[in-house]
Amino acid sequence: MKRIDVQEQPVLSPGRIFQIAVTGVKYRLFRAVVTVAVIVVAMAFLMNILTESLIKRAVAESVRDQIEEMHRVDRWIARLSMPQTAEEILEGLAEEVRRTLPDEPADEEVEAALQDASPYLRELTAMSGYGMDEILALQPVAREAIQYLRFFDNLDYGRRRVLVGPVESTQIFDRLQSERAWHHFTSNLADMRTVRFPFPLEEFQAFIERWDELETLVSKVRDGQSRAIAAIQATLGEQPVVEALRDADGAFGDTLREAGFALTPETASLLAVEVERLDYTLLIEGTINIHGVRQAVAARRDILPGDVTMQMIWQMLRSREGAEWFIGVMHESELATRGLTAERLEEIASQRAHARLLAIAERQTREAGGGLMGIGTRMTWLAFVSMLVCAVGIANAMLMSVTERFREIATLKCLGALDAFIMSVFLIEAALLGLVGGLGGALAGLLLATTRMAVTFRSLLWPALPWAEILIAGLISLAVGIVLAAISAVYPSFRAARLAPMEAMRIE
Amino acid sequence: MSNAPAHTPLEETPVPGAKRVIIRTVAMKKIYQRGEEITHALRGVDVEIYTGEFIVVMGPSGSGKSTFFNMIGALDSPSEGRVFIDEVDVAQLTAEELAFLRCRKIGYIFQSYNLIQYMTALENVTTPMAFGGVTPDEARTRGMDLLELVGLKERWFHRPIEMSGGQQQRVAIARALANNPSVLLCDEPTANLDHHTGDEILGILQRLNKERGVTIICATHDHRMMNICDRLMWIRDGGIERIARRDEVEVEVGAID
Repeated sequence: MKRIDVQEQPVLSPGRIFQIAVTGVKYRLFRAVVTVAVIVVAMAFLMNILTESLIKRAVAESVRDQIEEMHRVDRWIARLSMPQTAEEILEGLAEEVRRTLPDEPADEEVEAALQDASPYLRELTAMSGYGMDEILALQPVAREAIQYLRFFDNLDYGRRRVLVGPVESTQIFDRLQSERAWHHFTSNLADMRTVRFPFPLEEFQAFIERWDELETLVSKVRDGQSRAIAAIQATLGEQPVVEALRDADGAFGDTLREAGFALTPETASLLAVEVERLDYTLLIEGTINIHGVRQAVAARRDILPGDVTMQMIWQMLRSREGAEWFIGVMHESELATRGLTAERLEEIASQRAHARLLAIAERQTREAGGGLMGIGTRMTWLAFVSMLVCAVGIANAMLMSVTERFREIATLKCLGALDAFIMSVFLIEAALLGLVGGLGGALAGLLLATTRMAVTFRSLLWPALPWAEILIAGLISLAVGIVLAAISAVYPSFRAARLAPMEAMRIE
Repeated sequence: MSNAPAHTPLEETPVPGAKRVIIRTVAMKKIYQRGEEITHALRGVDVEIYTGEFIVVMGPSGSGKSTFFNMIGALDSPSEGRVFIDEVDVAQLTAEELAFLRCRKIGYIFQSYNLIQYMTALENVTTPMAFGGVTPDEARTRGMDLLELVGLKERWFHRPIEMSGGQQQRVAIARALANNPSVLLCDEPTANLDHHTGDEILGILQRLNKERGVTIICATHDHRMMNICDRLMWIRDGGIERIARRDEVEVEVGAID
């Protein structure tokens, strides 16, 4: 009797497996709509938070300078009323990196550095009486000081108190000058398991020893600033600083420069323009209380005079026609327009709208950054949980699909399918669902995020939109969708592959 | 099958009359244990089935008929005893070798057809060939030939849902024949069909048996099967109650009727 040999079943090529899986998915895609929807929602969420944080970061980046400008007048008013804090001076000193001098500078080099130095460094020399070389020599120390200050700032009050006692900011350095306080600090730091000092202690000690030099500079600068402010106050007499600043590009600017303040001609003219704008803004905001103006605006808008708001007036002023009309109304009410033209008024109104937008952007982007890809730790956690929920959903759907198709799977095994084939088919199917869901989710998330951000940032959004980064975020969402679906399908696929072929014989 | 053409039953059918054993069971037992409860599905079955035979297996539900089918179809392994298919001990085979055996040596025909719903008739027929490593082109030619054999050549692109029960069962027969198996295992092939379509299926099975020499083992309650089979087998309470040739039984049936 002739024996018939039995060999191993050949393994199908990946292409063939893929082809068979796709045939099945095409037939079932509509039934898998719920699974796809789960993936779409999860991926849309992921894409949404990624895109939003990217947009916020980009907008924050693009408006940082404008926001800085917005506060220019306030900053100068503050500077002309009191000396800067030690921290402000240190930060200014640390950031101004123009030229580092060699250890033993020649006179010409010092002179050149002085010419080349930024206005603020020159102010520091003027206020403190120090030479530029001395100031530049202290710059690295100031940079260190900023590092240590950030560390202590980030500590909560209780821990900081245990380490350095009830003092804040640069006072910490003063306190650590004493042997006892230093000993207290180091021993408590060693005991505290929850606080890690991220710098070498020897360096910190060396810095504390040098702090004296820096402290002297800081207090000299502050003294100089106080003297300069007193002198300026004396020349101003009763006149408010704001009014004086209107002349910032004229005689008052010279007074400031003489007193030692670092006021460049460009800043001066910008300040003057801005103060003028502030003046005009106050003038316009005052008109709402004038009866005639209120009446006129109410008649034009066809509402009651009591319902007229400043917001409405500004809105109206953003068109040339509205501005001209308003100037006319002001003339009729015999109000002083102080040379305000319709053109300028229109400009001021639209600048004001832009400034409001900037203020919103500043608030919205304050917390941008941190966590994974700058989405914040809380959002990272939320995204992680949503991925987990999605994975459970996919696993459940795939398990149901396996249960539903046990006869088909068993039949395939009767026809000679290997376990690996069945497993591959299910994994490929899940990955395809992940692909479809990931695509849909990335699109939905992008749409949602841009819409939301467009509502918040309006005209600030479009120029700042970081397309390349958003594309990467989309690809990430897509990849996460595919991988997530495939991983969730591992167990269901395994169950399918292990199904006994005799299940095919069973009758419903 | 390009690597082993000599093993196809057609080409190596011995001299008519010189039959050889294709399936043999030796003291085959199957015990299912669910908690404390122990079920003896099969209590030691010894059977020899020869090539080219048409055997009908009868037995009430719960008799162990399905278990017997799973054993001789290499879908399950016995608790005790042995099963030889083509003189190969099924218990000795690895999973890959079992898949090979199911793919080429045995064709399965199910009561509810079990066609893959998302595949066309032709795709259903060529799937076992794909598993067996046949190239797509050759599979297509052979698939069309098989569909022609069951009279469905014109409907190769139809999906199961577009076909009647009889047509689906004919596709299932074509699929079972995909890799020229030595044995066709049919589990109640006509139970879901009306009288007329059942006749058609029986006709096809008979033709395969007579013309191609395919061994057919058929579980059924259909009495028409008796007219075309060689032997009948009754299973009751996990054992073989009786095996008889058709000519021995016809007399009794006649007497009862």
